[in-house]
Amino acid sequence: MSPSVAYGTDIDERTKAAEQSSTDVLTAPDIPWNLVIWNDPVNLMSYVSFVFQSYFGYSESKAHKLMMEVHKKGRSIVAHGSKEQVEQHAVAMHGFGLWATVEKAASGNETPGKGGRQRG
Amino acid sequence: MKHPERAAGSVAKAFKYGLKGISGYLEPAERDLLRGLLDDVISMLEQDVRENEDPLAALIGLDMDVKQPSDRALLRLLPNVMKDDDGGSLEFRQLTERSVRENKIGALKAAALGLDKDDLVLTPEDATRWSMALNDVRLVLAERLDIRDEADAEHIHSMQDWSQAEDVESYLALVYNFTTWLQESLVQAMMAARQAKS
Repeated sequence: MSPSVAYGTDIDERTKAAEQSSTDVLTAPDIPWNLVIWNDPVNLMSYVSFVFQSYFGYSESKAHKLMMEVHKKGRSIVAHGSKEQVEQHAVAMHGFGLWATVEKAASGNETPGKGGRQRG
Repeated sequence: MKHPERAAGSVAKAFKYGLKGISGYLEPAERDLLRGLLDDVISMLEQDVRENEDPLAALIGLDMDVKQPSDRALLRLLPNVMKDDDGGSLEFRQLTERSVRENKIGALKAAALGLDKDDLVLTPEDATRWSMALNDVRLVLAERLDIRDEADAEHIHSMQDWSQAEDVESYLALVYNFTTWLQESLVQAMMAARQAKS
């Protein structure tokens, strides 16, 4: 970009600056993040379900449903929140030996524990 | 994920939930085996104290020199937290990996210590630490056995006869199946304890 004192460019610059700052504002903690648990052939189904119950306080049926989603679909979003919150969960999940990652929630994201999207 | 049947030929009594809480029994040879496995995973997770390390950073759990583990088993114990963002994953490691390692080592050591007593009677906290420790042992064994998918897991699971233990791989497979059976019975006992409380 060439430095210019022309009026139009100045507006452009200002718009860009405004865009940048609004992006900054939208980064943490407003953008929701997901905690994803991935399937692996080692972790026991009972153990994964138990971790969902004991750590997240989910009911037996909800924990079972999320566990089955991991097992059948390969992954499941089991919690969401701010980046800091889901990272905290990820630390705990790694402590339990579950394969957990965090990701920015896509628009129209899946909601953990709500039905309707079982069959992919 | 796995859904194991009872391992044939194992002499260990499963963990169970009863009046004393969660209890179990292992033969002396099984204790020795398990102790060795727990110690192996502990030494994998323990890091040498680095020279010139910032003591304050160490104190609050930071590790700015941390790298993604090159060993697959260690990487499975300490996975990347973002799928497609190595930089973000590394940053997360710097902030958290030390404490994850320390928590795991704590659970593994607690389980190893518990093996010194004849009867295994576990508080709910003990049981949680035991289940985490057994899970980490299984994750490491599974990497050594190259279990990549459910078919591999089924193949390994089909090896239940200790008279088949003729090489390192079949021996490891039997050890893996033993720890799987042990963890499954422990988790069932933990579920029963949880249901009894609610």
